[in-house]
Amino acid sequence: MEKLSKLPKLYLSVVFIILYAPIFYLIFYSFNSGGGMSNFESFTLEHYTALFEDTRLISILINTIIVALLSALVSTAIGVLGALAIMFMRNRAMRNAVLSLNTILIVSPDVIIGASFLILFTLIGVKLGFASVLISHIAFSIPIVVIMVLPKLQEMSPSLIDAALDLGATKRDVLTRVIIPFIKPGIFAGFFLALTYSLDDFAVTFFVTGNGFSTLSVEIYSMARTGVTLTINALSGLIFFVTITLVLGYYAISRKTKAPHTGVKK
Amino acid sequence: MKEILRVAALIVTVSVVLWFINSKLNASGGPSAKGTLTVYNWGEFIDPDLLKQFEKETGIKVIYETFDTNEGMMAKIEQGGTSYDITMPSEYMVEMMAEKDLLLPINHNKLSNFKNIDPYFLDLPFDPGNTYSIPYFWGTVGIAFNPTLLEGQTFESWDNLWDPSLKQAVILVDSARETIGMGLNSLDYSLNTTDLDQLRKATDKLKTLSPNVKAVIGDEVTQLMVNGEAAVSLTWSGQAADMMSENEDIDYIVPKEGSNLWFDNIVIPRTAKNIEGAYAFINFMLDAKMAAQNADYVGYSTPNLAALDFMDPEVTSDERFYPDEEARNHLEVYKNLGLEMLGHYNELFLEFKMDMK
Repeated sequence: MEKLSKLPKLYLSVVFIILYAPIFYLIFYSFNSGGGMSNFESFTLEHYTALFEDTRLISILINTIIVALLSALVSTAIGVLGALAIMFMRNRAMRNAVLSLNTILIVSPDVIIGASFLILFTLIGVKLGFASVLISHIAFSIPIVVIMVLPKLQEMSPSLIDAALDLGATKRDVLTRVIIPFIKPGIFAGFFLALTYSLDDFAVTFFVTGNGFSTLSVEIYSMARTGVTLTINALSGLIFFVTITLVLGYYAISRKTKAPHTGVKK
Repeated sequence: MKEILRVAALIVTVSVVLWFINSKLNASGGPSAKGTLTVYNWGEFIDPDLLKQFEKETGIKVIYETFDTNEGMMAKIEQGGTSYDITMPSEYMVEMMAEKDLLLPINHNKLSNFKNIDPYFLDLPFDPGNTYSIPYFWGTVGIAFNPTLLEGQTFESWDNLWDPSLKQAVILVDSARETIGMGLNSLDYSLNTTDLDQLRKATDKLKTLSPNVKAVIGDEVTQLMVNGEAAVSLTWSGQAADMMSENEDIDYIVPKEGSNLWFDNIVIPRTAKNIEGAYAFINFMLDAKMAAQNADYVGYSTPNLAALDFMDPEVTSDERFYPDEEARNHLEVYKNLGLEMLGHYNELFLEFKMDMK
């Protein structure tokens, strides 16, 4: 990378400060013994201990994570298959139609998706709760995975497949040994994007939670009437810390594994 | 491919482990032999220790979920697909839900602690004879103010808000019934008036307040008052209690002309599965000691007369939150005025907002 001169560097730091300041502000006050977000009295960890004693909140956090992991996993599997199908469709008009239908799902407002899921679930008699949340999260994540995987497929040269077939590979081999390894970065990118989408989704989840099952975003939102407590700050701080660790970990792993494969450029 | 399968297996394992931890966490609440009770309540509107104690005493496991608006709550119940056993709508929502046949009538004979409720809060127009609802918490609408920012200005009447010294200092709540109601109260009219002439006069009077109005906003007002960025605001008593607990300079009064009396109520929605459990829960919450503990935690005023004996006398003798009989006579509960009249209130409120510069 070229060396940045002073002005762009300054600009970059201002942008990052604006982006990160609110988060650090929130985390800073999670150590406040004052009980509010206005004046900092003294350092305390009581909000963190309160957080771990609040089994309901922890249980909601775990729910959120389970839903995110499973929905990302399932939607990645379906999304990859969908992207393959779109890629190898013979009929161009059909391919474009399916692709557009996929894109519409991404751009259509979450509220509408959420409301229509609520109506659908009550119509076919699915009880609101874990299943309804999981199904809807899978549904809105699939188009995202498709969009992340498709460019990788298009990038792949068709001659790779032809070569593999010429060398005696079965269709199954072509899929598992040629295509999937090639699009792996796209699959992981799709998975992580689906994961984050599911973790922070409010609009859709709001409609389909019920019967005592709730996720973090919906729960925090319901606290609005009586004021969000500093326990939420502590929780946000922890989540932020875990996220950073994950990102750094992912970065470290991808650097290590990337080193030998110098031939393929991302 | 192998790597992907390995990652997938890892994710599934992690999910199963988390699931296991979660069920362990939930099970620690107590045995669930007597079934579960799903409670749908406002966020932060109950002492969590009481839920644990209820589980211990009855063996019923409580599933607790929260909502943030009356309308959102009703939508969930009306749509079906849920099985809430208990929920806590505000008074106008009780009326609306009863009209839509979403509530089960309550058999008062099953509630031995029903007698603890102050008769003053029973048999009100939104639910005559308390057929469907039991009052849970109540409060008023009044003026919250911060004397340190006001050079000793005090409030006892709605008219004090019109004082010229309060230029750009007053924050109003973005809600038609409350704000127009303030105009009506200041002219000694009923909060439920349908007299167009009175409404016109109230709106015209409100318009003369506009030089003093700093902003018309929602719940953000709590933070502004606590931080000392705003000096005077029209607020609900519960919100005022929140402000006062965070900033002791703040004071609250119910103006002498009177104001609104509001309620959040316990009801059993039609979706209830565990009706016996719901009665047990209501009776538990109506118990004098439990109600006292709950009021201490939530900080709103309890309608439970017997509970007052178990509470800090300093709190219960505080006339700002437990007004005496004389002051109570000036309080009025909102009646459902019908869609057309509410539309008119909203129009007048919009007219007032448009008129502000």
